Amino acid sequence: MATTLTGAGVSLSTTTTRVLAKPDTGMLRPPCLNHPWRLHKFEGRRLRIQAMATTPERISEKVVESIKTAEEVCAGDPVSGECAAAWDTVEELSSAASHERQKNKESDPLETYCKDNPETDECRTYDN
Amino acid sequence: MAMCTVYTAHSLNSSCSISTPTKTQLGFHQKQVFFYSTVKKTSRRGSSNSSEITCSAESKTVVIGLAADSGCGKSTFMRRLTSVFGGAAEPPKGGNPDSNTLISDMTTVICLDDYHSLDRTGRKEKGVTALDPKANNFDLMYEQVKALKEGIAVEKPIYNHVTGLLDPPELIKPPKILVIEGLHPMFDPRVRELLDFSIYLDISNEVKFAWKIQRDMAERGHSLESIKASIEARKPDFDAYIDPQKQYADAVIEVLPTQLIPDDNEGKVLRVRLIMKEGVKFFSPVYLFDEGSTISWIPCGRKLTCSYPGIKFFYGPETYYGHEVSVLEMDGQFDRLDELIYVESHLSNLSTKFYGEVTQQMLKHADFPGSNNGTGLFQTIIGLKIRDLFEQIVASKAAAPLEATKA
Repeated sequence: MATTLTGAGVSLSTTTTRVLAKPDTGMLRPPCLNHPWRLHKFEGRRLRIQAMATTPERISEKVVESIKTAEEVCAGDPVSGECAAAWDTVEELSSAASHERQKNKESDPLETYCKDNPETDECRTYDN
Repeated sequence: MAMCTVYTAHSLNSSCSISTPTKTQLGFHQKQVFFYSTVKKTSRRGSSNSSEITCSAESKTVVIGLAADSGCGKSTFMRRLTSVFGGAAEPPKGGNPDSNTLISDMTTVICLDDYHSLDRTGRKEKGVTALDPKANNFDLMYEQVKALKEGIAVEKPIYNHVTGLLDPPELIKPPKILVIEGLHPMFDPRVRELLDFSIYLDISNEVKFAWKIQRDMAERGHSLESIKASIEARKPDFDAYIDPQKQYADAVIEVLPTQLIPDDNEGKVLRVRLIMKEGVKFFSPVYLFDEGSTISWIPCGRKLTCSYPGIKFFYGPETYYGHEVSVLEMDGQFDRLDELIYVESHLSNLSTKFYGEVTQQMLKHADFPGSNNGTGLFQTIIGLKIRDLFEQIVASKAAAPLEATKA
């Protein structure tokens, strides 16, 4: 369905899409259409690696470090801008840590599966 | 998403609307005009039956601002708000996993931390906190919010809270409702002008301390002293730059310690005040029994039994920083469903679509913090008010071209 724009005087078709910078997914297209199961296997592994990278561990360590830094900086001069900035960093990281905890806490495996595949047997809902 | 309304030149009783695919995302906002002639309709005047469909690009983006200090319930508020409109808000799929943006069908939530001009190392060198306006790029914030309001997609930077660096930008398409949440939505006067509605979450110091303890004690490395030091160190900048924004807000949710329990220091029971500015376009304040009067109400009695410490309501007109406001206050907490529905049935001007909608929304998110006290109640009510505001704005913008074709 092509429409003509009277204003701009340019004709655009609906097939033009904006190219977004997509991370990594370009690499997931090896020419192995004969083995679709292998494709999914790579996907799974990649997803798992990504999941491990975002566990709170890395943030927890950052929080601990930042508290130590803040205490050191403020031991020298409690009212300086550096002291405030250091404690602000602590606050920012604690907030990020609590968001991560909340995000991880909420992942019920069935819910996440059903969000992507609502038509499967486990996920069908019968309202009437 | 562009909404197109069909107006017939001669009779306005046959109007239908179609939606076209989103070309406006590519940065143009155009008027697309189609001409077609209807075959079967007989015109009263006998002239040619041609109808004109005019589509205007998404200039109906409603912008809401939400200001609060970090750790003060903005995310909970966001989740309640997006839930009122339907659907869950999620980070953009396929993008940066540390993105702060949330997208649902109707709403997009942008975190204003993305407009930091200094990253964590930059702030450390200069010795400024994130609360300081020097660490934020208000020009970019104004440009991008203005563009989104006019229906133009933008490439918004991402501030990564984990690494403390500014990541490459992500594309944000203009939504129906744009929510900007953060520390400074109302700080810059130009951005303030763009906001259709603004909310400030004002948490008192004792409650803030109690909430931060709850949040951070599970984290290793933190102790009571470190939490206290953190709050104290940020207080000067907070009082200088963030707190003054509350005078500009259309609604303020103030959270204070309870007055029902003498010498309470647990901070579990809260006294919450919803301060609503009078005279805001499309916003009618919630009231209890009689608008403009002063009411003090304890619902617990013969019809309703409450457990200790009970519930106490107050409603009345006041002045807040020189403005006329109406204040609705709730002290105490809900223990049972029927308390909530009883209270809802006595409040007026809630902008609900059916009886019990507030209760239903509260129950839907019974696991969210504040679901049993005034914070959850007032956040839900504000969410419904925003929905009402949005519908009124859309209706008024649709009525304007209708007037033009009639004339």
